[in-house]
Amino acid sequence: MKFQLIFPKWRKLQGQTTFNLPPHGAMVFAATIPDYVEVEFIDENLEEMRYDDDVDFVGISMLLTTQIKQGWAIADEYRKRGKKVMFGGISTMLHAEETMLHADCVFLGEAEGHMEQVFQDFRNGQLKKVYNHMNDLPAIETVGPARRDLYKRELYYHKGVQMVDLFHASRGCKYSCYPCAVSYLGGRCFRPRPIDKVVEELDTIDNNRLFIVDNSLAQDTQWEKDLFKAMIPFKKKWCSHTIEDKPEVLDLAAQAGAWYVYQAVFDTSDYIKERVKRYHDYGIGVEGTILLGLDNQTEDDIKRLIDFLLEIDLDLAEFTVLAPFPHTKAYTDLIKQDRIFDKDWNNYNAGQVVYHPKHMSADKLQELYQYAWDTFYKDETQEEKMFKLLKQVVSREVEDGTFRKRRQDLSKTSFGKNVNHKIAL
Amino acid sequence: MENKVSNYQDQVYNFNGLWDVPSICGLKILKKEDKTIVIVTDLFKDNPGTPITEWNAKLAKEICDKNEIDYNSLIFIEHTPNKDTKLTFNHESFFKVNFDISDDKFENPKWQEMVKDEVDKLIKE
Repeated sequence: MKFQLIFPKWRKLQGQTTFNLPPHGAMVFAATIPDYVEVEFIDENLEEMRYDDDVDFVGISMLLTTQIKQGWAIADEYRKRGKKVMFGGISTMLHAEETMLHADCVFLGEAEGHMEQVFQDFRNGQLKKVYNHMNDLPAIETVGPARRDLYKRELYYHKGVQMVDLFHASRGCKYSCYPCAVSYLGGRCFRPRPIDKVVEELDTIDNNRLFIVDNSLAQDTQWEKDLFKAMIPFKKKWCSHTIEDKPEVLDLAAQAGAWYVYQAVFDTSDYIKERVKRYHDYGIGVEGTILLGLDNQTEDDIKRLIDFLLEIDLDLAEFTVLAPFPHTKAYTDLIKQDRIFDKDWNNYNAGQVVYHPKHMSADKLQELYQYAWDTFYKDETQEEKMFKLLKQVVSREVEDGTFRKRRQDLSKTSFGKNVNHKIAL
Repeated sequence: MENKVSNYQDQVYNFNGLWDVPSICGLKILKKEDKTIVIVTDLFKDNPGTPITEWNAKLAKEICDKNEIDYNSLIFIEHTPNKDTKLTFNHESFFKVNFDISDDKFENPKWQEMVKDEVDKLIKE
């Protein structure tokens, strides 16, 4: 049986450096599909769709809210041709009821242990409209290595430099932050993978640079330390979301190859300043993630915050405006207050204001978002700052003998497309 | 929590939320002569499932049916407790929710913010 697995494209934010990373969720899902199924993967961000391929069943893996309308359009095309289409993934769960209108089958929850049944139902012509496993999360030990063999690897290179591989060491989150839907998606508890399973998967990844995509590794100190200890022999370099800033954790993280971490910056406190310094003391870079448009922010607050970012020596900064994704407290608060004016999911990209902020107009917040990017990167562009971080990691790789030269055969391509001169990314 | 009330009850209420996920909320019911005040409280991290705001129409109907509350006498209030942070969006809030009720269905919730004093006054009336 042939199964075509699609990752729909989405509109990238203007003016920002675009990197196409190999999608992870789709490959984790693919690992749960029975062995008798032949899986083919299309990343529509980098490839053309092939609606007329001879396939039996189609899966659409959706990660982002801004991706879903394209996912629906793709499904409509396949269904016009008589193909059955299944949806799954994070934004399928966030938009399940709407997605059902475009699907033969919607899978909700985590796929491990359930795909045998779904494919059997498909073969018997008894596909269910909804497979609801929201309340039936699999044992975390059953999460196996992602099917990275399905990537067309040469597409994930920019001028011969391989993009990082994505990887997850845990699921769920014990926190329930205002703008985040993880507690809805993965239950309100942290589910770390057993270290031996993590090691088993790391061993399969042919890439010396990783992005650990866990929501937050800073949820169980002992596990976090065990994880970093286990990662040391692999000599991989990685970036991740927040890690704890206790000295013993930072020391192990640095030994394990921590390259840079994301750090949310909500205010101008010494706490943040000192935390950034602590990361730097261990040779770990910091990318600030700054969410603009929360109800406690005035225009002056945002401008002060941006000035503060320039003082605290961040290596990179990423600005977003609040996007009220369904099933978050941000969404329900704004709905209650009738403040959402734009319901076009294509615009829920965290770069476009879709609601009325509390202390300013939507236009003013949009202007401040642009001001934040422009001001932070005024003296040194995002690409220049990224290059500095890349140089740091290269010198560490050279030191420990893990540096890989760029692939000469791909030096004139960027994400599968020829580049004859300096491209504007 | 099937027990019928006389005039007042205050409990942790179990319900099946979105996609049948087991969920809980705080529930206060105060029956008066001409109205019944129902206050549902979001329990945040203690609630493994659906927040009250996302399930309010079904929750309001379910609570009315289980407790023999006349739909027309219902005053339904969503309560979000203070999360003990400095962030304003985590402060305590009360919203009265009005539904369109037809054919035994609660639909189209419309929220009206109330200050705590208004809620206290409503209870004392």
